[in-house]
Amino acid sequence: MIENSQPKPETIQPSASHAKKITLVTKPRKILRSVLAGLTIVTIYSLATLNNSNLQLSEAFKSLGANLNAMFLHPSVGQDSWALLLRALATSVSLAMLTTLLGALIAFFIAVGAARNLAPNWLATSIKAVMAFVRAIPTILWVLIYSVVMGLGASAAVVGLTFHSVAYLVKAYSESIEETSQDTIEALKASGVGFWPIVFQAILPSIVPALLSWTFIRFEINFANAVAVGAAAGADDIGYYLFMAGSFYFNFHEVGLIVYLLLAVAIVLELVSMKLRGHYLKHN
Amino acid sequence: MLKVIQLDKTYGSNKRSLKDVNFTAQPGEVTAIIGPSGAGKTTILRSVNQLIRDDSGQILLDDQDIRQANKAELRKIRHHIGMIFQNYNLISPLTALENVLHGRLGAKSTVAGMLGLYSNEEKTEALALLDEVGLKEYAYQRCDQLSGGQQQRVGIARALMQHPKMILCDEPIASLDPKSTKIVMDILRKLAKEKQLIILINLHQVDIAMEYADHIIGINSGAIVFEGATKAVDDDVLQKIYRQADDAKAVVSANED
Repeated sequence: MIENSQPKPETIQPSASHAKKITLVTKPRKILRSVLAGLTIVTIYSLATLNNSNLQLSEAFKSLGANLNAMFLHPSVGQDSWALLLRALATSVSLAMLTTLLGALIAFFIAVGAARNLAPNWLATSIKAVMAFVRAIPTILWVLIYSVVMGLGASAAVVGLTFHSVAYLVKAYSESIEETSQDTIEALKASGVGFWPIVFQAILPSIVPALLSWTFIRFEINFANAVAVGAAAGADDIGYYLFMAGSFYFNFHEVGLIVYLLLAVAIVLELVSMKLRGHYLKHN
Repeated sequence: MLKVIQLDKTYGSNKRSLKDVNFTAQPGEVTAIIGPSGAGKTTILRSVNQLIRDDSGQILLDDQDIRQANKAELRKIRHHIGMIFQNYNLISPLTALENVLHGRLGAKSTVAGMLGLYSNEEKTEALALLDEVGLKEYAYQRCDQLSGGQQQRVGIARALMQHPKMILCDEPIASLDPKSTKIVMDILRKLAKEKQLIILINLHQVDIAMEYADHIIGINSGAIVFEGATKAVDDDVLQKIYRQADDAKAVVSANED
């Protein structure tokens, strides 16, 4: 075998000055320290100037204890029935499921346009900019905006939640797409395969685990949002009953029960997502 | 027959260019392109199926000029040119069989391609091709569980699934051990003879090129310095092909691939 690599001679630069004082503090560390110092000053100032004349600490802790006791140790259905609360819970779960599925489907196609390795640069950049704008406005605000347009109710909640989900998932999906190797795409391109078959036959199978986990994270977010949105948009879901029990009837027993119900759903979601991911990674 | 005539290619800063490249490659023969790193081996190979667009020249495959083809025609031509790569470039979470079937995607309509709808004949053919490269029992194995040599054989089966006239091989054995190298090169030589394919192959290893190729193209600094039968290659020719690029205008970049 014939080699043609030849090491290039390296020149050693003489160091510029020997007299200069050597410091270990880098610029980022300086910034971090000044930020910490600033926060400390603000904290001390606000503690010193806090108006606490009406606060009776022992009394406050006692009622906090009583409320927590009522909520978490004596949960009950309050003035609503089990059937009603479970139905409302199911509404929240379906709201989350519907908006996540709709969002995922729409987001996948938009993400193809937002991925720099597939789409022209101007298109990818503009889609990403629009999506960043949509994401910057919280989900609840979108739901309120759509409530104005469509009237209070479940449809405003669905559209608002989907809207924000799409923006969130486009970012996650397009970054997953960008991580697929350019070489495998090129291999199919070289055999005359068109754009959409490459997307579905080469890219999609490579990124399914990433898509699944992003979609499930969004499902969890959407469930939390659906609960919050229920109260705001009057979607008649569990959030609405939580809001009524907490702010109208002051029935802390019912608040506690609803919190436990939500917790149970969250745990089930987590278990399902773990199982699904494990299954897909192992058996495909 | 593949005929490349007066191919020229300039990259932005005049680096790594092709200068007046002319050569032919015959069906039934293994044609090897050899030369130092950065000489332009990969550029030539990728010009042949227009993954790299060159500046001027003609690339005639059975008298059809690939450079003149429009987008749809190019896809059709590419479908009959198989390509295998140093890093195999398979879709690793899919099975060997699915990857072989990908060789048919170029012949399908967009929808059938998107959904991956393959006929029973195609599946039978894919299994037969896997058998031909000695991987029948691995058909349902994920590709990332196969060894490098096995993955390269899946790559060859995928290329064969295209019913190619020609297979381009971009450093196909650079990541393989000697045993897998022998298996892969034996398969490629056999395919050239039995199916009368044009096999155009980029090689780093001169000894492999001398052993397997019928026809050698030597390239240095983007220009062809030798073309002829393998038996005509002697030490003088190799000296010419691998001479240092100092005297040439182009700068040899150490990491072409």
